[in-house]
Amino acid sequence: MPASKPFDTANIPGPKMAMIAKTKAVAAMIKRAKRPLLIVGPDLTDEMFERALKFAEKGVQVVATGSAIKRFVEAGVADGVKYAVLHELTNFLLDPDWPGFDGKGNYDLVLFMGTIYYHGSQMMAAIKNFAPHMRAIAIDRYYHPNALQSFPDLWKKEEEYIKLLDEVLDAL
Amino acid sequence: MVFELKKGAFVVDELKNVSIRIGDVVEEEEEWAIMGPTPMPNIADLRDWDFFLLKRYKPFYAPYCDMCCLCTMGKCDLTENKRGACGIDLATQTGRIVTIACTVGVSAHCGHARHMMHDIEHIFGDPSEIPVDFGPEIDVVAPLTELITGMRPKTVAEFKKVLDYCEEQIVQVVDSIHTGQEGSYLDYESKAFHLGMIDSLSKEVADIIQMCAFGFPKGEDNQPFIDIGMGVLDHNKAIVLVIGHHAPPATNIADYIEENGLEDEVDLAGICCTANDMTRYYQKAKIAAALSRQLKVVRAGLADVIVIDEQCIRADILYHAGKLGIPVICTNEKAMHGLRDMTKENPKDIIKYVLNGAPGVVVLDPLKVGEVAVTIARERRKKRGDKIEPKLSEDEFLNYAKECTQCGNCTYACPQGIRIGDGMEAAEEGDRGKLEKYWDICIACGRCEQVCPKNIPIIDMLNFAAWNLIINEKGKIRRGRGPVRDTEIREVGAPIVLGTIPGIIAPIGCGNYPNGTEEVYTIVREFASRNYIVTLTGCMAFDAALYKNEEGIGVFEEFHDRFDAGGVINIGSCVSNAHIHGAAIKVARIFAMRNIRANYEEIADYILNRVGACGVAWGAMSQKAASIATGFNRLGVPAVVGPHGSKYRRAFLGQPYKDEDWMMYDIRKGEEVRVEPAPQDLLVAAETLEEAIPLMAKLCFRPADTDRGRSIKLTHYIDLSLKYLGRLPDDWYLFVRTESDLPLAKKEELLKILEDEYGWKIDWKRKKILEGPFRGYDAAFNPTNVKRIFEKGPLPLGGE
Repeated sequence: MPASKPFDTANIPGPKMAMIAKTKAVAAMIKRAKRPLLIVGPDLTDEMFERALKFAEKGVQVVATGSAIKRFVEAGVADGVKYAVLHELTNFLLDPDWPGFDGKGNYDLVLFMGTIYYHGSQMMAAIKNFAPHMRAIAIDRYYHPNALQSFPDLWKKEEEYIKLLDEVLDAL
Repeated sequence: MVFELKKGAFVVDELKNVSIRIGDVVEEEEEWAIMGPTPMPNIADLRDWDFFLLKRYKPFYAPYCDMCCLCTMGKCDLTENKRGACGIDLATQTGRIVTIACTVGVSAHCGHARHMMHDIEHIFGDPSEIPVDFGPEIDVVAPLTELITGMRPKTVAEFKKVLDYCEEQIVQVVDSIHTGQEGSYLDYESKAFHLGMIDSLSKEVADIIQMCAFGFPKGEDNQPFIDIGMGVLDHNKAIVLVIGHHAPPATNIADYIEENGLEDEVDLAGICCTANDMTRYYQKAKIAAALSRQLKVVRAGLADVIVIDEQCIRADILYHAGKLGIPVICTNEKAMHGLRDMTKENPKDIIKYVLNGAPGVVVLDPLKVGEVAVTIARERRKKRGDKIEPKLSEDEFLNYAKECTQCGNCTYACPQGIRIGDGMEAAEEGDRGKLEKYWDICIACGRCEQVCPKNIPIIDMLNFAAWNLIINEKGKIRRGRGPVRDTEIREVGAPIVLGTIPGIIAPIGCGNYPNGTEEVYTIVREFASRNYIVTLTGCMAFDAALYKNEEGIGVFEEFHDRFDAGGVINIGSCVSNAHIHGAAIKVARIFAMRNIRANYEEIADYILNRVGACGVAWGAMSQKAASIATGFNRLGVPAVVGPHGSKYRRAFLGQPYKDEDWMMYDIRKGEEVRVEPAPQDLLVAAETLEEAIPLMAKLCFRPADTDRGRSIKLTHYIDLSLKYLGRLPDDWYLFVRTESDLPLAKKEELLKILEDEYGWKIDWKRKKILEGPFRGYDAAFNPTNVKRIFEKGPLPLGGE
């Protein structure tokens, strides 16, 4: 049984599905990570966008995928935010030798927020199965069974979800 | 054994009890070109080429399911690339699943082609009497057939050998899928490539033989316009709706209408590829919709009778049609839906059986379908009114909206995650706008209705809310023209290879779009207005035709349909997209004078290095789309799919930072060169339209671009990134070899960025790049990835 309801009901990949992420544990993982990366996709509310900026302020490298980058550009806050095609980016992440966006090496923790649900789910499946050198955490408003840990299904409870993001940010 | 007779008398006399059997009578073939190295290749024959591709474009696996459930030793948990009971690991299992998908896809096309051959024999008689002739402007009639088999069929019957070959290859690959066979994901991908190639060949056969037998257009441009849209059906007439991919039954319906002078009484309309092919035969036919509207059309009750053939038909068509009392006639043994087979009975008896209340019937003889379908439709037309109305009344619509409990089950079930509950809430308050907007985003899969605790007929609700859109949906599409003419290739071969026509964009495939149909129109118009050549087939061609510009005209009316800069061409149905492969092959044959006969590897290498083409299957859904894309990829043509495409589980993605992956041979200089990542990927999913459009432009770069061509391509890549993503792409500099590669209008600005951000050395006096790029520009660069060609040169043409 999944720990929460996947946004696509039938998205049951197999015996290993994400545990529910606790906010303090997520913050601790980010702090412990040598090179964390936040992937921000286009399925993004204003509140989520504000929190993405706060992650960047806390020193987490942010990469916007799909049309999410336009959000950052239009808000005039794109400096330091990278852009990538999510499929290509995930392919790089699978390669332990990828030099990363700054030439300093691959990332050891990736956080997903706002990706198109089913597409992001597939990318997390790739990381789960073929990238033992990194962990994927879904801090999205949907439950992502292919992540190592995921926030629960909260798309109908926007305030609760944003509260979780704030708790993580506060603990960083 | 061959027994060859020379000149003289051969006397057979006084033989008793001797039987003489003569197999094929083989006419000596004219030597039109030297036979290449791989006529009718088997699985392993092109493996070296595949492994080159797989080294540069590594299979990227995103499993949809971490288990294997295919044998009784399972289920096996393969999570984290564990091995199952048979020893297979998750990467190899995923390659195996991809191979299975390609098997299903190629079987659909090959089965269709074989079925077409049978129907042609049945309808027209001996296919050896039907010539394969596309007129004076097309000499290379069957480029894929020449390339893969080394044959040049002159009659429809000669394609039987090609189909024999295809069928054998499919069976051999299916064998490898059995538990306990292949143990390498790379070899599964090589087999998938093989099937993709066979898929392209099967499609070519299917389309060429139907074109020759039924007299479809043979590559002429300026094709007439066909009415398209749910609003174009004339409800004063009886409406026959055909659905599927195999047109012979539909052509019989058209014949029956014409022969009986019923054009003013009967409208013939279609969904999916049968609709496309039917209009190539009968110009008065209409296209009701693409695949993603199938349930919407059926549930709107727009048809008096539904005729199905094969592929892309809803499995529950009988259920939905039956609820509205619409009979379904099954005309193909692949989809008979449990109905009574009355093929051998008199059409009058079949008609009587259906009109007496049967939900449908099987009629496998295409020559009987016309009378049966048209007569049933006319009888049913007499019993309904003239006006077409939504299936729900205003009160029913409002009551259903009120019944919605906001449980969200529909959204969890929806492939797009549409917030249907929000639409219901708005509708309850008198605002239908949200549901109307959702109507186009919805792909009408019907899963929402399966989980609604209140049994709300959500598709009917959407149809009700969007009724004005439905009845006013009226567009124009060009009739499918079929192949690209050799004379056109002579005109555009050079600008394509040199890069001054920035690329060929090929929107193909299904309608599982992430965000509705309008995005297709946007893609087509954007690239056509930038002088790319846009060649469309299948459902994307239909959906592109549904929208209009500020002047009220659609893309097929706005742009010409020549294979030339700024063309928007309806090539035809899904099997017609073989002609897009064909165009790329013809560039090698006609422009570069390469020998294409049984010479797959060399020509695929040529296309990958020089022909800036990119497919886009924005709503790829089916296994056929998987085999189609894989066939394009083996031939060196990359493809972009929509975000649902990542569910195919495998992509082919490059790693531009790895020097060893991007080494090529320069034949002229006799050395290896590190080239730019062009094209970077062979198969990649984009998340949104805004991402897909610049990505397609990027995938049109080729190592052999001239500086002028590269400058034009880079201009579009940068422009499109600025337009759709609001910024310069991060990787534009990777494609710069010299200052003349830079877009003229931005040259200084970009040189400054190269110096400041990437550390390149610039001579500002001369505005020249001194240091930085992977390589300099060499107008005589003659690239290949194939060592044999590097060492021995291309295969000579010979013959002719």
